[in-house]
Amino acid sequence: MASVVKREKMASVSEMYDVGWEEMRDKLRKWREDNCRNSEQIVDVGEELISEHASKLGDDIWIIYEQVMIAALDCSRDDLALTCLQELRKQFPDSHRVKRLSGMRLEALERYDEANKHYDAILQDDPTNTAARKRKISILKAQGKGTEAIRELNEYLEQFVGDQEAWHELSELYINEHDYGKAAFCLEELMMTNPHNHLYCEQYAEVKYTQGGLENLELSRKYFAQALRLNNRNMRALFGLYMSASHIAASPKVSAKVKKDNMKYAAWAATQINRAYKMAGRGTKENKCSMKTVEEMLESMQITMS
Amino acid sequence: MPIQLTSQAYCKMVLHAAKYPHCAVNGLLVAEKTKEKKKDSHGEPVLCVDCVPLFHGTLALAPMLEVALTLIDTWCKENSYVIAGYYQANERTKDSRPNQVAEKVAARISENFSDAAIVMLDNSRLTMSCFEPIVLIYDHHENKWKSREVTFDCFEDWSEAQKITSALLEGRSYENLIDFDNHLDDLRNDWTNPVINKSVLDLC
Repeated sequence: MASVVKREKMASVSEMYDVGWEEMRDKLRKWREDNCRNSEQIVDVGEELISEHASKLGDDIWIIYEQVMIAALDCSRDDLALTCLQELRKQFPDSHRVKRLSGMRLEALERYDEANKHYDAILQDDPTNTAARKRKISILKAQGKGTEAIRELNEYLEQFVGDQEAWHELSELYINEHDYGKAAFCLEELMMTNPHNHLYCEQYAEVKYTQGGLENLELSRKYFAQALRLNNRNMRALFGLYMSASHIAASPKVSAKVKKDNMKYAAWAATQINRAYKMAGRGTKENKCSMKTVEEMLESMQITMS
Repeated sequence: MPIQLTSQAYCKMVLHAAKYPHCAVNGLLVAEKTKEKKKDSHGEPVLCVDCVPLFHGTLALAPMLEVALTLIDTWCKENSYVIAGYYQANERTKDSRPNQVAEKVAARISENFSDAAIVMLDNSRLTMSCFEPIVLIYDHHENKWKSREVTFDCFEDWSEAQKITSALLEGRSYENLIDFDNHLDDLRNDWTNPVINKSVLDLC
């Protein structure tokens, strides 16, 4: 999406939030570690940190330049991105990592052919450079070439089979192409290597549910339940359990026992959902409406499904 | 029957898109439920008074969409609203065509509301000043979704919508916009967006 043009900054970040430079630096680190894409905030904090406290940052400044540069690209702040890039080029003249950032800047300017040349040059020098390969795939994605992106990513994963970020990206690409079977396969890989990750379980369940059919619904119910076992506050898993169990119970193809079991699961889920809303609504007037709405919704669904 | 957008409906759609520039976003448009269906109500516009932002990122999965549709439908009944349309902003700047997800959801909405419309946001024209409307409106004719010309008549009051949306974008109100995804992350997040609604009212 085209970024909106930045407005003039009125007050400094440190003034507005009464924070010192160390807190700003720590915030940036947290956002780096959590891989957050809150680019406007990163630009606000990072730009001020760089322009006013550069000398205090020590060697941290280089990784901060990188982080702020990428955020600046997201916000169409090519001026800031170029400043950061030039500092990095000066400090690390032959670095592939910096060359990749140059490529990203070209991508942001939609100069994809030039960007590809940058990445090809890196790969000539170092065929195992995963970052450059991923950027090339991102360019395909940006150009709307979903099928080609999928093909390239599959080839990449044949070589780098342990790259979780890549498996997750591939699952998303497949979902966007409505190829739910293949998306499920990617998530299966992720669940195998991350058995305690409730999010992968829950996403797998959602894909199975979307695929449809009784078998997939039963599988989805099992994985929503598994996600809940791993994290009992995952609302999507709770709602998913309710929905899948309700649909199974309502299916004319199931035995009486399966119907009864699934009605039990759905009833349990409904209780948990109501309880969760009650907890969330404690003390607030508005959320009491929300609770009532949910109760009514669950009741109305029982009626239509039975 | 053409749809018309109030300032509140329009600006919340734009704020949703602005909050997640790197994602696709979608949501529902709601209209007030009219008591009688007049015989000559064909041609009278349906006023979409509000919108409910739904998801950002992956739009093509069914379960949470079903939950949202059912929950919002219940909420509509309590408030004498009806779900009258669907909006979507695609992930890529230059892509503003309705896709399979949009058509499927709109078809679902059409089961309850025969003149449901698809509103697509044209990302490439999104600016702070909002000097022109950035929506494309699609109606279902003869089994196809056809886009209609967007004029200022598609808005209850375009200059008000423009003024309010621009002000809220400048003030970064989109940071506080809540969609259904945010609600699922933390149930205390209110997808009816009372805070933003109040800001809109204050600017009217």
